[in-house]
Amino acid sequence: MEQDRRNSVLLFTLHLNITDIAPKSLHIEEHDLVLRLQNQDKSALSYLYDKYGDALYGAAQRIIQDEDVTSEVIQDVFLKIWNKIGMYDAQKGRLFTWMINLTRNAAIDKIRSKEIKRSAKTDSIDDNVYTIDRQNSTESSVDGIGVKELMDDLVEEQRFVLIKVYFEGFSHSEIADEYDIPLGTVKSRLRSALKHLRHKVKL
Amino acid sequence: MDIKEYIASGILEAYIFDTLSPQERAEVEALVVQYPELRDELNAIEAGLEDIAMATAIQAPSHLKANIMAAIGGEDEGQLVGNVSQEAPKVIPMPQTNTGVWKYLVAASVALAVVSSYMAYDYRLKWKSSSDAFAQLQAQNSQMAEQYNQVNNRLDELVADIDVISNADFKRVNMAAVDASQSFAASVYWNAKTDEAYLNIQNLKTLTEEQQYQLWAIVDGKPVDMGVFDFDVEGLIKMKSIKNAAMFAVTIEPKGGSVNPTLDLMQVAGAV
Repeated sequence: MEQDRRNSVLLFTLHLNITDIAPKSLHIEEHDLVLRLQNQDKSALSYLYDKYGDALYGAAQRIIQDEDVTSEVIQDVFLKIWNKIGMYDAQKGRLFTWMINLTRNAAIDKIRSKEIKRSAKTDSIDDNVYTIDRQNSTESSVDGIGVKELMDDLVEEQRFVLIKVYFEGFSHSEIADEYDIPLGTVKSRLRSALKHLRHKVKL
Repeated sequence: MDIKEYIASGILEAYIFDTLSPQERAEVEALVVQYPELRDELNAIEAGLEDIAMATAIQAPSHLKANIMAAIGGEDEGQLVGNVSQEAPKVIPMPQTNTGVWKYLVAASVALAVVSSYMAYDYRLKWKSSSDAFAQLQAQNSQMAEQYNQVNNRLDELVADIDVISNADFKRVNMAAVDASQSFAASVYWNAKTDEAYLNIQNLKTLTEEQQYQLWAIVDGKPVDMGVFDFDVEGLIKMKSIKNAAMFAVTIEPKGGSVNPTLDLMQVAGAV
């Protein structure tokens, strides 16, 4: 524990110093973090969990809707990060992007393997998303922005695509096929939705 | 190539979400190298995705991190002890062991509490479902016993009927329809030695609540009452004993029977 705290403080100071000097600090820090993970430095994984654990947990929980199963999935994801860090290619994107894709894929595999019927889920996804946010509103993260608020003023079409991709793990072509929307439209709607959310989060 | 349009198509988001085919991925990667604007946009999308995930984080259960750290082989405490003990070898190990023991004790008791309350809950569920199942089985059992009794009684009746039918002393007298256009039929098993008589319906019409069939024997040219029966009885029906019967006939009579047969309503008849 003491060791963790020291490492966190150390990393934090390092982060601050670099932030002062270079604006692209995150990548440098990430580079350091990845190196330490590759060297199987347990404190690096501990730091990674402290920083991103709740964000990944939130992403998985919104797909899975079951705390126990989500915990199981997140544990698997962190073990995968720990064991497969060698497969992460910084050239192709951020560490976080890699992690959240691992998380989302694991969550989606889990619900599909549990044969939770997609049709049932489709009908109630909006409700589920909102319920989860309400349930967790007290213990929810950081700055208390729920997905509901974020999606509130999205156009219905954009919201639909976002929910399908982000919460139900549909691929773009699956949405195009199942809901008879041109593939190009699916892509551009998702872009608009994410762009909107991005701005809203920054505000 | 119109970069703005390419970006607006949403293909970069699809790339980030990893939903492109390998061929499309390679295409995006090649273009990103070529156009710095695409690299910037990718960075912005990734940062946005991270911001969204951070903003919508949900606090994970507190034990999750401990589980994960334990799964990768515990925290790096061994190293810490090693480093520090070089400087102060006598002080550090004591509290270290203490907190270690307490930590495990607390963890063990919490785990025990969790496990036992789960088991209590689980056993209650199991007890409840088995008590329901037991009640259901009891109900089924009494129903089966009732059905068994019914079947058993019916079997006893049939065995008795077969005794009559297979007894050579019983003569079977067939009674055919009086109205030749009908296919009514019944028969009487009559034992001339003991005077016993049984009736068996093959086909008679349905009667109203107020009506019954009545069996008659013709003895010395006169009708003699042998008793009434309902239209829907099955098997052999024991009728009144009769001596010297020459003929049998069935009439429809008011419920309870009549003293004299209503000849107009004679349904079937047959000579011995």
